[in-house]
Amino acid sequence: MPILEARNLTKTFRRPDKASGFKGAVKHLAQRKYKNYTAVDGIDLSIEPGESVAYVGPNGAGKSTTVKLLTGILRPSEGTVRVMGRDPHTERIANAHDIGVLFGQRTQLWWDLPVEESLKLLKHMYGVSDADYKARIARFDELLDLGEFMPALARTLSLGQRMRADLACALIHAPKMVYLDEPTIGLDISVKDRLRAFLRELVDDGTTLLLTSHDLADIEEVCERIVVIDKGAVAYDGPITQLKAHYITTKAVKLFLEEAADVPALELKYPQYEWAAGEAPSEVVVTYESARFTTAEVLGGLTAELSPRDLSLSEPSIEDVIRRLYAGELTK
Amino acid sequence: MSSAFAVDRAFAVIAFKRRLAYKTQWLVGLVLGGGAMLVSMAMWRELLSGGALSGYDWDAMRAYVIIGFITATMVFGAADWQIADRILDGHVAIDLTKPVDFQRARAAEYIGSMCSTVPTVVFGVAGAWLLFDPPGPVSVTAGILTAVSLLLVFPLAFGITYLTVLVCFWTKRYLGVMWLREALLGFFSGMMIPLAFMPSWLQAIAWALPFPHFTTTPSAIYLGHVDTAGALGLLAAEAAWAAGMWFGARLIFNQAVKKVTVHGG
Repeated sequence: MPILEARNLTKTFRRPDKASGFKGAVKHLAQRKYKNYTAVDGIDLSIEPGESVAYVGPNGAGKSTTVKLLTGILRPSEGTVRVMGRDPHTERIANAHDIGVLFGQRTQLWWDLPVEESLKLLKHMYGVSDADYKARIARFDELLDLGEFMPALARTLSLGQRMRADLACALIHAPKMVYLDEPTIGLDISVKDRLRAFLRELVDDGTTLLLTSHDLADIEEVCERIVVIDKGAVAYDGPITQLKAHYITTKAVKLFLEEAADVPALELKYPQYEWAAGEAPSEVVVTYESARFTTAEVLGGLTAELSPRDLSLSEPSIEDVIRRLYAGELTK
Repeated sequence: MSSAFAVDRAFAVIAFKRRLAYKTQWLVGLVLGGGAMLVSMAMWRELLSGGALSGYDWDAMRAYVIIGFITATMVFGAADWQIADRILDGHVAIDLTKPVDFQRARAAEYIGSMCSTVPTVVFGVAGAWLLFDPPGPVSVTAGILTAVSLLLVFPLAFGITYLTVLVCFWTKRYLGVMWLREALLGFFSGMMIPLAFMPSWLQAIAWALPFPHFTTTPSAIYLGHVDTAGALGLLAAEAAWAAGMWFGARLIFNQAVKKVTVHGG
């Protein structure tokens, strides 16, 4: 039975339709006009317990609005949502007990108090026992180095510290279903790595995760399934491995030659591959279809012929695939 | 203590600590509150030097101003901006993901926030008592009923404050709403001038609203302007307004929450 099920989930907002300038402002004052804007357009989504799902899309695609619908903050204009059998909007308080939410762009820490005070208030809100609270804080400290800034005022934290503290706030009650909306936004590489490692542990422990992120490394490292949305509707829903297998059909090798590469000559000699000049004159990139040629086969022939001093193999990333999905070059 | 009350207590403590986190602001509030009362006393002593006006002599006015100071501190000392800001900047979305009754949590915060005004009330009243020696209540019963009325000002003040904050869901601004509330409250409660100084039609309008219970009701009971039966009637009306606003706010919140439109993350 799915832990989360959304059917035909739709959210329409009403926006003022106001012409620019002074005239537009006066006209809008006298005669108000509004336009409907559909942020989420008939989304179907079903998540099984323990799944880790990446929910991605370009800016304005409706990711955050979907999260707000799934967490009960917003009421759908149409369609239904059930989280653990409950309507998250009408049964908001009961639903909130079992979910953890992090909005990367909004902190849930009390800004003018130490981090510890926020966590203690959350302990009371969720009815976490003293023993569980201590154990979880100790675990967060071990994985996120929380202890170093527990006594610090929230407003004095760095962005990385703030995000780690917010993550602890979202997970202090060991929720079954966790929504993370841009949890690594603005963080440096080392903090991102620690957060991803922490999230992988969370998933390994059986927590169900829905993650939205623009950082596709978050997605590849933490999630097994990906849902791509664009203009409020689902563009792809399936395993990340399948997305890669389906859409990543080529591989590329960059060869570092001893002298300048003659790309037209290579194109004539090896027409079964695609050739492109590299960044330096002695660099050349060869792209081949992974279904037709094995990497060993390609390299065997080319290294014997061209004797490169070095080479590097690259697979197109999930980022390339998603970029092409957004651009409408690929279909479901 | 049940867990629900433990959560209320935790919210109240957090709100209290947040008020104390800004010590200078808190101290300025204390000084300004006390200073405003002293100015009011000086003004009324001058005005009433020629004798009583509309049933208030200098003795009665000294008690009236002190009661007005206590209730004004309760109403204007609330951290309503903190709730309004959360609605306006979208942080209310985070509050809605927590397993707590939004209104009850805000009420607990209100109580915590009010506790930070206790020193203002204590120092202000003690100072006024020493400087102006106001008369006591007309009877022990009147004293007890005045205390009940002052206690009822808490839920009443929360109701008014919370309702005006909820208006932010529609107006998307708070400043104008707050000014309107404070102007209506100051005028129709009798904090600015006693209602007895107003024409009868204006008094009738005032008594159709909850505002007179903020100052006029407790002072009328204290000074014996109403008998015990009249005092009980006023207290019943005050309690009815407090209950009505509590339940009315729930209905309004159910509508307001549909207006949440937090875009962009």
